[in-house]
Amino acid sequence: MSLSTGVAPEKPFAEKIPANPLARRFLPLLVACLLAIVVLLILYIGLGTVSLSPGEVIAALVNQPVETFHRQIVWDLRFPRGLVAILVGAMLGLAGAILQTITRNPLASPDLTGVSAGAVLASVLGIAFIPPLAAGGPALPFVALAGGVVVGATVYFLSRQGRSDPLRLALNGILLGAILNSGSSIVLIFDQERAANIVLWLIGSLNGRVWSHFNTLWPWALVGIPLALGCAGLANTLNLGDDVATGLGQNVERARAGLFFIAVLLASSAVAIVGAIGFIGLIGPHISRRLVGDDARRLLPMSAVVTALLLLLSDFIVQAITKGSLPVGAITALLGAPFFLYLIFRRVKA
Amino acid sequence: MSVAATPIVRKRIGARPWLVGGLLVLLLFLLIFPALMLGSPVLSLGQLNEILFLNGGEKVPHLIVTELRMPRLLLGLIAGAALGLAGVLLQDSLRNPLAGPELLGVSSGASAVVAAITVFRLPFAFGLTPWLALVGGLMSGMVVILAMRRITNGARLALVGSAITALLNAVVISIISLGSPNDVAVLYLFLLGSLAGRTWDYVNLVWPWLVVCIPLALLCARSLNLLQLGDDMAEGLGLKVLRMRFLIALLSAGLVASVVAVCGPISYIALLAPHLARRILGTSDARQVLPVAALLGSALLVMADLLARLALSPVEMPVGVWTTLVGGPVLLVLLRRQMRSAKQ
Repeated sequence: MSLSTGVAPEKPFAEKIPANPLARRFLPLLVACLLAIVVLLILYIGLGTVSLSPGEVIAALVNQPVETFHRQIVWDLRFPRGLVAILVGAMLGLAGAILQTITRNPLASPDLTGVSAGAVLASVLGIAFIPPLAAGGPALPFVALAGGVVVGATVYFLSRQGRSDPLRLALNGILLGAILNSGSSIVLIFDQERAANIVLWLIGSLNGRVWSHFNTLWPWALVGIPLALGCAGLANTLNLGDDVATGLGQNVERARAGLFFIAVLLASSAVAIVGAIGFIGLIGPHISRRLVGDDARRLLPMSAVVTALLLLLSDFIVQAITKGSLPVGAITALLGAPFFLYLIFRRVKA
Repeated sequence: MSVAATPIVRKRIGARPWLVGGLLVLLLFLLIFPALMLGSPVLSLGQLNEILFLNGGEKVPHLIVTELRMPRLLLGLIAGAALGLAGVLLQDSLRNPLAGPELLGVSSGASAVVAAITVFRLPFAFGLTPWLALVGGLMSGMVVILAMRRITNGARLALVGSAITALLNAVVISIISLGSPNDVAVLYLFLLGSLAGRTWDYVNLVWPWLVVCIPLALLCARSLNLLQLGDDMAEGLGLKVLRMRFLIALLSAGLVASVVAVCGPISYIALLAPHLARRILGTSDARQVLPVAALLGSALLVMADLLARLALSPVEMPVGVWTTLVGGPVLLVLLRRQMRSAKQ
């Protein structure tokens, strides 16, 4: 070896990496989405049999209602429903983003992995056969969580050999979901009094969600959302692939199991409150990925916010067009299924 | 005889299919008794004999047997046969073991149309319903069949189908919630599939279709055998592959649409029956598989319907729930095996 290589012109050791345009966009976009949620929430609260102007809504929200009954409409009915929509959307979006990142599978989401169906079956069984749960109440998410974990783990292990093929996870999840939904139908039909609510459980609805639902939900969000956001670095490592992650000193299996559990926790508790709202946990993360890139530290918060916005928007459509007679899950499926098709076809081209 | 070139087409049929077919016919015959006797009220063999052959017996049981149980049994038999045949047609012509009306979106397309007609009380004649269901089924099936040109992976095709199914189910649910919210009976029919309360009117609606379509399906056996060999080979043996495939898809859509028009989308019979038939026969020769799958489809649907009526009585389940509970796991196993063999 000649010496000249040794004295070759030195490159600066750590050249400054040019700031990623996606990263620069992150904060403004996040703020914009949050603002959009607030604006949409105000418009959303105005919708209904008694429609209110944005000014009247704000007045009622700050407890200076123009008419006294505005306060009841806003505070007792529409505001809690909107909050539940935002919280559920955020939780489902976060769960979808985590599942997509850790399985490195663009088709992973709470409903396409069967987690939602499992949580529904468990909730329905709980309501039908455990008397203290019959009225819903704060214990229900625990039951749903058990169902979600069992089914999620089953689908995951069924699909393990074919990790290279993302379609397989989705197909296994869909099939298992169909089987579990049949189980839920049996329970619900057997329990004739609640039979009319089958659809609401299987497709998801926000009708009649009030403060008691919100109160059951928020502790789960309070635990799950920060936990998920805190694990973003871990998710990034897993997204590099098992070999690299192991090389970086990560216990891959344990990390993946932990993140998987967080995702299932978020999805199951949301499903226990509103039923299995589909496709939203698939679309939200995909849109966010377009906006802010693959880095989980940006992707996860963005997914939560974007999906919350999407669900609020879907329920806005329900209220605006159908006067609340349609379950919101029907709207998300109508919007989401074509998107799912697009994802499948896009992968054909690739 | 060019035995070497067309081994399946020319091979003679042995004794086994006749034996299997005979046993299945016997099974169907035996199923008639529980189907007509069990339920509320439970009838004895003597009472049944009196009602059926002497046109006697008490008035209420007589009515129950002739006006409720008989048409229901008959509908189960012919609908099951139609679904079994449709499954063989789709699986062989697409060369995809996962193909079935529910995974191609044909069922849900048909049921969306029928739901719209029923719930909104659209002024179409009753006899026109299967035609409209056929149009709906064809339109949604066509998306998947067009996708076939670009998609060769069976699992991906099934995913396209299930996305379309999810979309159309959302349409059905929207229709139901807009038209007649809380109408549970409507729901059973168009989301899960059910044979409950089907009288002679329904049987009369569906039998002309099946009388035409079932023999046509059985006639497709030779073409199916050729299609199994692959497109190039079939073309080389003188089959117009694209045209034949299109006709077969149309025929299976006709079979499924007529069933969906009266029973709703009963899942997984069309997937289960052909696979069981191939397993029992030990061959995929369509000449044998088609009739055996038809018989098996009938037997499966009638048994599932018995289960639906009796298992949790007095509450009656939609039969589609049971077929999904049995058929879904079988499909999972199939999928697993297919993936494994694709790897090797």
